[in-house]
Amino acid sequence: MSKASRKANRERLRQERIKEQKRAKRNKLLAVIGAAVAVVALVVGGGYLVMRLQEGSSSGFEGATAPQTLQQDGSVVMAADGARAPVVEVYADYQCPACRNFEQTNSDTLKQLAADGRAIVHLRPVSIFAAQPDPISSNSLRGGAAARAAADHGRFVEYNDVLFENQPAEGSEGFSVEDLTAWGEEVGITDPAFAERVAAEDAVVEKFVTDYYPELAAKAQADIPDRVQTMRLAELMEWGSDNGVDATFLDDTYVGELLDATAAVNAKYSEGDNAFAGTPSVYVNGVLMGNEAYTVNGLVQAVEDAEAGEPDTLPVAGDDSMAPAESPSSSPSKENPDE
Amino acid sequence: MSTDTEENTGRDRELRQRPATRWETVQPWATLAARLALAGVVGYAGYTKVIVPALSVQSVQAYQLFGDDVSRFIGYTLPLFEIALALLLVLGLATRLTGIVGALLMGVFIAGIASAWARGLNIDCGCFGTGGPVAEGETAYGLDIARDLGFMALGLFVAVWPRSPFSVDRVLGLYPGRDQRR
Repeated sequence: MSKASRKANRERLRQERIKEQKRAKRNKLLAVIGAAVAVVALVVGGGYLVMRLQEGSSSGFEGATAPQTLQQDGSVVMAADGARAPVVEVYADYQCPACRNFEQTNSDTLKQLAADGRAIVHLRPVSIFAAQPDPISSNSLRGGAAARAAADHGRFVEYNDVLFENQPAEGSEGFSVEDLTAWGEEVGITDPAFAERVAAEDAVVEKFVTDYYPELAAKAQADIPDRVQTMRLAELMEWGSDNGVDATFLDDTYVGELLDATAAVNAKYSEGDNAFAGTPSVYVNGVLMGNEAYTVNGLVQAVEDAEAGEPDTLPVAGDDSMAPAESPSSSPSKENPDE
Repeated sequence: MSTDTEENTGRDRELRQRPATRWETVQPWATLAARLALAGVVGYAGYTKVIVPALSVQSVQAYQLFGDDVSRFIGYTLPLFEIALALLLVLGLATRLTGIVGALLMGVFIAGIASAWARGLNIDCGCFGTGGPVAEGETAYGLDIARDLGFMALGLFVAVWPRSPFSVDRVLGLYPGRDQRR
C-alpha cells in the first residue's frame, strides 16, 4: 500500500470516528432534552390533576337552596330552618374580581353547606370601590343596590350569582339598568317594583358618582388635606355632613344602605388578625379565613372545624315566616367570638 | 452546543496542560449559583400561585389579554410549569435548554407587564401569589420589569455557559467539567 493511500485511509477512519462521536453526542443531547420534557409534562399534568382533586368539585349543586332571609342591614342569611351551625359571613363587592373568583369556586359549596344545615351562610354585599374612579365606583354601587332590590323579592342568592357571572371588566361600564332588570326576570322576579327600584337606585348612583363624591373629595382636599388621605369613605362622608356637603339624598336608598354596610364591617372588624381589609372577606364565626377560602375543601374544612354560631343581624320585621327558628335576638354582642 | 469531539482534542490537551484561567474556575460555580437562584425565584413564584389556583387565575384575568377559559387554563398550568422549570434547574437536566426557556418565560412576563403598563391598567403583576387590580398609584411596573430583566439575565447566563457542578448533565457527560474532558 502506498504511503499516500495509507494516509487517506487513516484520514477516512478519523473522519468516521468524528462523525460517530458527533452522532453519539447528539443522541445524548436529544435524550436529555426528552427527559427534561418528560419531567415538565409529568409535573404539569400530574399537578393539574392533583390540583383539581384537592380543590374538590366546584360545580353541581342542584337541589333547592336553603331559605334566604333578608336582614335589617340589607344582608341576607341563607340557612336551613332551625340550623345550628357555624356562621359563614361573606363580604363581597360585585365589581371585585377576586370576589368573582371566590363565587365561581365556592358559590355551590355555600349553597350545599346551607342546604345541608352545616352552615349558616350570611351574604353581606359591600362597596369597597365607591370612592374609586367611575365606572368602577358606579358599577360597584349599582350592582350592590340591585342585589338588595332582588332580596326584596326573595331572589337574592340567585341574583348574586348572575351579577358575578356578568361582572364588568375593571374600568369598563357595566351593570346597566336594562341588564340589571333583565337579569331580575331571568331569576324569576316578575314584580315591576324591582325594575322601578333598580332605575331609582341608578339615579342615586349617578348623583353620588358625578356630583356628591367629587364635591366631597374636592372640599376635603381643600379643607383637610392632611387628614383626607387616611380617612375612610364613611368618615369622609360624616365630615361632609358637618361641613355642608349634603348626603341626605342617600337616606332610605339601597345605595346608602350598601355604604352603611361597608362602614359597619370596617367598624366591626377594625383591627387585629381579623381586620376587614378588602373583599372578598370570609369569616367563620368571626374568624377571617385566608386563601384557603378559595378552595372547596378549604372552606368546608373551616366550617367543619367550627362550632355553631349565630348571625349578628336581625331579620327584617314582618318576615317571620322565613326567619330561622332560633331566635337571633340574644346575640348583638357576638363579635370576634373566637379571638 | 459543546464541541467535545476529537477535532478539539488537540486544543483540549492544550487546555488540560496549562493551568485553568480564573474564568474557567469560576464559571461553573457561577452557573451553579445562577441555576439555583433562578430555580429559587421561579419555584417560589410557582409555589405561591399553585396553592391558591383561584387567585392565580385572577392574576391572569387582570391582564385582560385572554378569555375566561384561557385565563383559567394559564392560571392553573403556569405555576406548575414554573415549578417544573425550577426542578430542572435544581437537577441540572438539559441545563442550556432550561436556561433558554427560563429567559424566554421572563421575556413573556416582561411583555405582559409592559402591555398592562401601556394600556394603563392598575394591576399587581401577580408574579408571586396574589395579583389583580390595585389602587391607582400602587402599581410597580418599572420595578417588576427591572426585576424580571435580572432573572432573564440569570437564565441567559445559564444558557450561554451551561457547564456546572452537581448537575445531571455532568453525570451524563453532556457538559463535562474541565477535568473530565477527553
